[in-house]
Amino acid sequence: MAQAKKILVVEDESHLAKGLKFNLEREGYEVVVAGNGEAALESMSEQTFDLMVLDLMLPKMGGIEVAKKIRETDTRFPILMLSAKSTEEDRATGLEVGADDYLAKPFHLPELLLRVKGILRRWDWYKQPMHGQEIFHFGKMWINFATGKAKGCSGEFLLTAKEALVMKLLISKKGQVVTREDLLETVWGYDRETETRTVDNFIARLRKHFEKKPQKPKFIVTVREKGYQFNPDSYS
Amino acid sequence: MRKLKALFHPIFIFIGVQVAWIVLMAVWINWYLKNSRKFQEFAQKIRPDLFADELNWLILLEGCLLMLIILAGVYIIFVYWNKQARLNRLQSNFVSSVSHELKSPLASIQLYLETMKYQKVSREDAADFVETMLTDTERLSSLINNILASSKYDPKNMRLQFQPVKVGTFLREVVEGLKRQFNERNCKVKLEIPEDFVLSLDRRAMQMVFNNLIGNALRYSPIGAPLTIRLRKKKKFCEIDFIDRGRGLEKKDAKKIFRKFYRVTNQESQNIEGAGLGLFISKEIVRTHKGQVRVFSEGPGKGSVFTVALPLSKDSVNGGRE
Repeated sequence: MAQAKKILVVEDESHLAKGLKFNLEREGYEVVVAGNGEAALESMSEQTFDLMVLDLMLPKMGGIEVAKKIRETDTRFPILMLSAKSTEEDRATGLEVGADDYLAKPFHLPELLLRVKGILRRWDWYKQPMHGQEIFHFGKMWINFATGKAKGCSGEFLLTAKEALVMKLLISKKGQVVTREDLLETVWGYDRETETRTVDNFIARLRKHFEKKPQKPKFIVTVREKGYQFNPDSYS
Repeated sequence: MRKLKALFHPIFIFIGVQVAWIVLMAVWINWYLKNSRKFQEFAQKIRPDLFADELNWLILLEGCLLMLIILAGVYIIFVYWNKQARLNRLQSNFVSSVSHELKSPLASIQLYLETMKYQKVSREDAADFVETMLTDTERLSSLINNILASSKYDPKNMRLQFQPVKVGTFLREVVEGLKRQFNERNCKVKLEIPEDFVLSLDRRAMQMVFNNLIGNALRYSPIGAPLTIRLRKKKKFCEIDFIDRGRGLEKKDAKKIFRKFYRVTNQESQNIEGAGLGLFISKEIVRTHKGQVRVFSEGPGKGSVFTVALPLSKDSVNGGRE
């Protein structure tokens, strides 16, 4: 069996932390619990983890802060946010600062476990080298999937985890049509609340990075009624 | 959209009303001056007596009075409006903190129940889970009690049933009932009850006060910090001190924490559970017992002492009758 995946649970409510640890260990993960944001960042610097389950209401340093700190150095480390705040706005801020998924308390245990599994599976898929190379060139631009760095029409920048995943899926199926549902399933996983519109927003963002004229895209083309298509050779 | 909302801020509306008022006045004066001759002729026809000299004063006075009344009306509306706005804000704060408070123990209970449903759990683990869930239900029920109390008990019509109660014994019972919470926070409680007093109390209300004060001491102290509860006589009062080694508080907060919905907001305490009701309710309850609650703290990080002072009656000294 492969080495157990390591999960950092950041939760100040000792009851929940204990229950989460129990269940995640039952699923075969290795679990470390941190009681506040600072402790979480400390363990992050000491050990490597495959996933972080992050509560938003933490003493001293809040969950949003923790996520921001992590995103400063690592744009793709998987984070599952857990919060008692369940409004659309709270979700949006959570996902904006770079959470891979957002689960409102109280949550269902099977759902939590599925989401953890989903994130880890996507992370695995992402880490697989593609066509034997980490850096993909198209036109004068490139994306380095190992570091998350990319060069767009206006210079180098860092792709977020989801942006990188979207690009990876589009590139791995270049020339073919990728439906919005495919993108949702692969990149967003089990999150039922994400709408296909979210996909469109991400595509719009990516076009801003990689297209000279985002209104008239050449690389990331919309296929009517179907989805999106990546055409690496259309550069002229 | 947000800009539009900002336009409806009471201050902007106030200014807007004033501007409209002045503009209207100017238009009216303008119109009046243009047509004053006609008015004069018209008035002379109907009431020539108005043009006598001494009556002008009366009209001026009437005008001033009317103006004052209108201004006072506007002022009162403005003040009430502001008050309402503040209450709305407080209430929405309250709703969000209460829903968080309710969700946390609920999430824990649900997690353990589902764990027992979906996982194979050993007998010891199951017993442990049940204990944990029970503390969560306690937390839920005390929060719900607080919410109900704060909405039901208007201090003026709080209906309490007073009966003679031995405070020391009563305190022991309350502490015994909270045993689980003390164990969980690894807290050693020291009860100092040199002598017992019989006071006229409402048992349920006073239990709520003690629960709130002890609960606060636990929540705002690090795990393992001790708590001392001391009963003593001071002049005509029986004083109960709850001495913790917790976060303490700043001088400026010492009075405010007893206000409804008020919570000390800083980085350290922002995520400590609480709805800003416990101390408010405790104060109201103690007040209806003709006593008072106060707090003393040397400053942040130095712990705090909450004191409940309840009046002694003549026959309450030295344990009363057995």
